[in-house]
Amino acid sequence: MTLTAAIHDPRADPEPDGWADFTARCKLHAVWDYGLMRLEAWMSRNPAVLGVVRDGDRIAAAATVLICRPRRARYADAPTRRKARLRPRWAEVYTPWLSGYPAVVFDPDLTGEGRRAAVREFERAVLRHVGPGLLGIAYRAVYRDMVSSMTGPLRRTWRNDPTSVLPNEWPNEDGWLAGLSKERRTSIRRYARKIDRDPTLEVREGWGRTDTDPYEVAALINSHRARLGRPRTDPRTEVAGVFLAEFLRRPDVRLLTYRDADGTLLAVNTLLDHPTSTVLQHWAARPPAEGGRHNLYFDCYLRCVRHLVSAGRAELTSGRGLMDVKASLGFRARELHTVAVPRPSVGRR
Amino acid sequence: MAMRWRRGYLRVVRSSFATVPFYRELWALSGRTEPEVVPGRTGVDGGAVRAAALAGRVGDLVPLAGGPTEIDPLRGLGPVLAEHLAVTAGTLVAVVDPGTPRPPVDLPAGVRSCVLDPSGLAGPYAGVLDDVTDHLRRGARVVAVGGDKDLDQLAAALPETLAHLVTRVPVRDPDDLAAPVGPHALIAHPLLGVLGGLGGCGRWHIDHPRVYLRATPAGPAYTLLRQRSPRLVDVLAGHGRPGWCPRHGTPVVEP
Repeated sequence: MTLTAAIHDPRADPEPDGWADFTARCKLHAVWDYGLMRLEAWMSRNPAVLGVVRDGDRIAAAATVLICRPRRARYADAPTRRKARLRPRWAEVYTPWLSGYPAVVFDPDLTGEGRRAAVREFERAVLRHVGPGLLGIAYRAVYRDMVSSMTGPLRRTWRNDPTSVLPNEWPNEDGWLAGLSKERRTSIRRYARKIDRDPTLEVREGWGRTDTDPYEVAALINSHRARLGRPRTDPRTEVAGVFLAEFLRRPDVRLLTYRDADGTLLAVNTLLDHPTSTVLQHWAARPPAEGGRHNLYFDCYLRCVRHLVSAGRAELTSGRGLMDVKASLGFRARELHTVAVPRPSVGRR
Repeated sequence: MAMRWRRGYLRVVRSSFATVPFYRELWALSGRTEPEVVPGRTGVDGGAVRAAALAGRVGDLVPLAGGPTEIDPLRGLGPVLAEHLAVTAGTLVAVVDPGTPRPPVDLPAGVRSCVLDPSGLAGPYAGVLDDVTDHLRRGARVVAVGGDKDLDQLAAALPETLAHLVTRVPVRDPDDLAAPVGPHALIAHPLLGVLGGLGGCGRWHIDHPRVYLRATPAGPAYTLLRQRSPRLVDVLAGHGRPGWCPRHGTPVVEP
């Protein structure tokens, strides 16, 4: 096995050869689409680049890496500027907008020592790409069974907030509701009835929708995130309207919108379909003080579970946070880890 | 002068590309000219934008660090009046406009201002009109800024003996610079604010410390050099082309 690694900057480089084949083979979610990564990278403070490790001509592993710098309210420089190479940077192996999944993906045929070698090769490529200013690499949201590929001397591993997962174990949505507490079951049914009968509320859902202004959706998502407060360590930038414009028209992305009688967007949800692991991705709502409605959140979950069951997907994931509420909806915790690699250990076994 | 003016514009373009979502998206994905920010991408209309394209996107004109979103249609009024009409302390500036929500904020120190809705001069604005009348009676200077019809309505509402004492400053849209005007006039745009005024030489002078004018394939594009947020760069407005005043050596727009 001869592994080679390269970093592709979606802003400047063409799609890697064999990328479409690799994403299909590994069943990657829509956010790994190279065109979407390009839009995301241009509109980022810490742009994502794609690390590709090849065994001969075939892609053996890939990773999304955010090249980060001390927090400043500026987008990243255009990729042609070379003078930034001495400035301090660190790399976060992280998938923006899919925080509950690892950003490192291995070919299903690659196991054990092959994975460790691929990770080291990838790290050396990151070092070459960033230059001497690289402070280290952090692998975020790593599953427990992947940690061993990344650990080693000087490297630190710790457990993060878990992500929430709802395994599909029922023939229909009533089966899911039957497994919840009586109080939660009753309240979800009551909210659904109330929303159905409310003439002042327009609920629309659909795949690949183009009837909604993506900038309006982005504004609601960003104001929701700003209201909840962003952690200082969050390397992501605000969601860009131009990214959503492309993302929402994909046939595997469902947009759910709630509007009041005058057309004001009250809440929005995106559901990212996948053959096995469907993702309840963005949820954003206007607060009641600004005209928002209570309990749309639970109606959104009911609709997502309805899709999970009817489409026969294996699981629905719903990201991190609000674990107690999600537990009351039947979600379970899936362990996630961070592996921090300081500069002296980058690329070494 | 020309180089310093150009340098100020280049600074605004660089900063807008680095910090303002709207321009980042437009220029990174499509491109622009003079200067190019992504090599090889020249965009449409040299990267200039039509005012209509900014409707509903004001939130994206705010830099990432945050800032106000209010559009001030009277932005720049004070400096332009001070430059072209030598407005000084004691003057009352009366803005006559049915759509102006608030008085100008950048008038020189000691200059008072008021806003009048021409359709309400006999109603809710009667008190304001009395104030204007008192000012004229005391022999103080009153500068009335507004559209031609609005200024006519104000003149008709004032006592005949005082109406001629008002200094009329009609406002012209950048589309309408070829129409004849009196000795004083302003160029103003609902989104960009006051862009310049009629100089003593009879040419339309740009408020060059605050406004940059550039020719693009789609027409003249204006940039506000000092407004941090909402950022307005290369906004297409009206007709004409940039030029230089042979008498003053400063930038003008030629209808």
